[in-house]
Amino acid sequence: MQLEKFTYDNKIVRNFGIATIVWGVIGMTVGLLIAMQLFKPGMNMGSQYTTFGRIRPLHTNAVIFAFVGNAIFMGVYYSLQRLLKARMFNDALSAIHFWGWQLIILSAVITLPLGFTTSHEYAELEWPIDIAITLIWVVFGINMFGTIFKRRERHLYVAIWFYIATFVTIAVLHIVNSFELPVSFMKSYYWYAGVQDALVQWWYGHNAVAFFLTTPYLGMMYYFLPKMANRPVYSYKLSILHFWSLIFIYIWAGPHHLLYSSLPGWAQSLGIVFSIMLIAPSWGGMINGLLTLRGAWDKVREDVTLKFMVVALTCYGMATFEGPLLSIKQINGVAHFTDWIVAHVHVGALGWNGFLTFGVLYWLIPRIYKTELYSKKLAGFHFWIGTLGILFYAVPMYWAGFTQGLMWKEFTAEGLLKYPNFLAVTLQIIPMHVFRAVGGGFYLLGAIVMTFNLAKTMLKGSLQANEAAEAMPLAPVLVETNPMDQKWHRVLERKPMKFMVFSLIIILIGGMVEMMPTFTIQSNVPTISSVKPYTALELQGRDLYIREGCVNCHSQMVRPFRSETERYGEYSKAGEFVYDHPFLWGSKRTGPDLHREGGKYSHAWHFNHLLDPTSMSPGSIMPPYPWLIDQKLDISTTPAKIRAMQTLGVPYPEGFDKTANDELKKQAAEITADLKQNNIKVKSDREIVAIIAYLQRLGTDIKANKETIPSNQ
Amino acid sequence: MFEQLKNLAGREYYLISSLLLFMVFFIIVSIYLIKLSKNHISNMSELPLKD
Repeated sequence: MQLEKFTYDNKIVRNFGIATIVWGVIGMTVGLLIAMQLFKPGMNMGSQYTTFGRIRPLHTNAVIFAFVGNAIFMGVYYSLQRLLKARMFNDALSAIHFWGWQLIILSAVITLPLGFTTSHEYAELEWPIDIAITLIWVVFGINMFGTIFKRRERHLYVAIWFYIATFVTIAVLHIVNSFELPVSFMKSYYWYAGVQDALVQWWYGHNAVAFFLTTPYLGMMYYFLPKMANRPVYSYKLSILHFWSLIFIYIWAGPHHLLYSSLPGWAQSLGIVFSIMLIAPSWGGMINGLLTLRGAWDKVREDVTLKFMVVALTCYGMATFEGPLLSIKQINGVAHFTDWIVAHVHVGALGWNGFLTFGVLYWLIPRIYKTELYSKKLAGFHFWIGTLGILFYAVPMYWAGFTQGLMWKEFTAEGLLKYPNFLAVTLQIIPMHVFRAVGGGFYLLGAIVMTFNLAKTMLKGSLQANEAAEAMPLAPVLVETNPMDQKWHRVLERKPMKFMVFSLIIILIGGMVEMMPTFTIQSNVPTISSVKPYTALELQGRDLYIREGCVNCHSQMVRPFRSETERYGEYSKAGEFVYDHPFLWGSKRTGPDLHREGGKYSHAWHFNHLLDPTSMSPGSIMPPYPWLIDQKLDISTTPAKIRAMQTLGVPYPEGFDKTANDELKKQAAEITADLKQNNIKVKSDREIVAIIAYLQRLGTDIKANKETIPSNQ
Repeated sequence: MFEQLKNLAGREYYLISSLLLFMVFFIIVSIYLIKLSKNHISNMSELPLKD
């Protein structure tokens, strides 16, 4: 058999690398902007397109799917070719994958500020973009498996299993969490409602962290770290064990995002147990990474790429230790909805994903440009300013989180809330938010310095677009020379499709055990007879609430704590959300919970508060929403929305779609008349009327009808 | 901490069967790991360094 000559495609790696850098800087800049909006509301710039609620999803999507997403593809396209001794399956598919992904990101940059959002966190993009994501993901899959099939290396290295698990799981997560019924070109309703929708969303949300921010990065770690340190991974056996344990366990942990919520208790407990177990495989990966450097720690002092890798692995270890702790109910009760969670995710995002990406970029760009890094000093500066940035970010946010959690729960000796005004807590943590922005600024500065450094490196060298390589072709295996070789895992390593199916089965088990009973057994979501569908005006108002991204700062989930029932009212019941397509429980309380908001204040209060929040709540950091008064409510969509809700099982009477707008106008006129009595003149066809109607409805179904609540709720 | 896990309202079987399932899976993976040949393991871990 003769050696075969072929080339590696470095151009696609370079393209994804540049996209990583560009989107990284953009995503972090938006992050800095929204961080500043939280202590200086003027930074919302008085425009609906730049308010916090609309651009916070832009930040999360940009850093997760644009920065990290492109970095994953950069790492996969570089390492896959070399580990398989083959060029990528098809150059055209590589190009379609690259440009398709960039177009998807561009569509997010345009649609999210315009207010087109599904409101599911990290899955905000509307249905046409969801379809595009599916198609491009399939292109990526075909390209990856095509390369695997034409490989010249019989066995698949552990990094590739992580890539396969990533591909298959993200496909499942994305499809299941995108069951939406389109209402118009850029508007849809989720198929699921309330508790079920929450379970699906957090099954997705948690596993997006697992299979987009973790498994592909572990794959990259298993390839790039041995290359950088020039020594094999510490324990290959450990990598197998922690791979299978990680993908099995991770998928069950989603419900820890819903502790003390209306999710059935058994599902919460399952989430807790598996979250605590998760520490073992996560630390298995971290330890395997750090111990790969055994005997090479002197290199860490010299080599900036290794410095980035060490901090990345340390942050991974910290975040994956903290995650299980946060899943314990007692800790979660204090930490949930606070800045503690923001600190936690940023240790992971800035430390693990960011630093590993920087390390790989510094290692990879000079190699494919056949040159040396332009400036090691600047890279060293980036490392230190980035590390300081993480510290300045995380420490104040932990402090803010503890402050919030404790102040919200503090009672006086007389048994009253010590801080009944929510704003008192918000104002208390403003200095911490200022420090956080400083930390974010440091981190962004580091990324900009890296951009300069790598651009100079690229200009200094020249891209070796097609890197020559040679390897023996793969001989067909007719008879195993040694029957002991037929170990199941070695067989799986040689049969990529079987490997994929096996991984798929493993990741499906957890989701199915949690979801099927919640969806099929009625007692898991007991109905409450007084809970009725929203009126047409309230439904339109709810969609405005979604458009403005109110859910980014306001939860709609009163947990069964005395500190919460004192502050907000009766705790939330599963049966109250049965018509909520989508659920709007939220995950963060920058502002107070709104589930019992209905009837708390007058229409006039809400009008003035939306026009200028500080007029009603002096010192409030909520941005003003004057455009809600100027803009006319689009009621042409009402019939389609009602019909869509009927399809989803909301019991509107037959033919309601035709009369809905008449009732909508009637209710709007009532609200306008009430406002007029308070000397507020506004036309009844304005958006603000609809959003007031919705806010006044929130949580009122059971307020006056407590006897309708089932005894087990 | 364990109190919160015992509060399963008669749905213990979900938790117990899930844990059993994982235990079986973990044992299977462990047994085969023990059986894997040292030669193969060493070849596999050298793969990234050989390209």
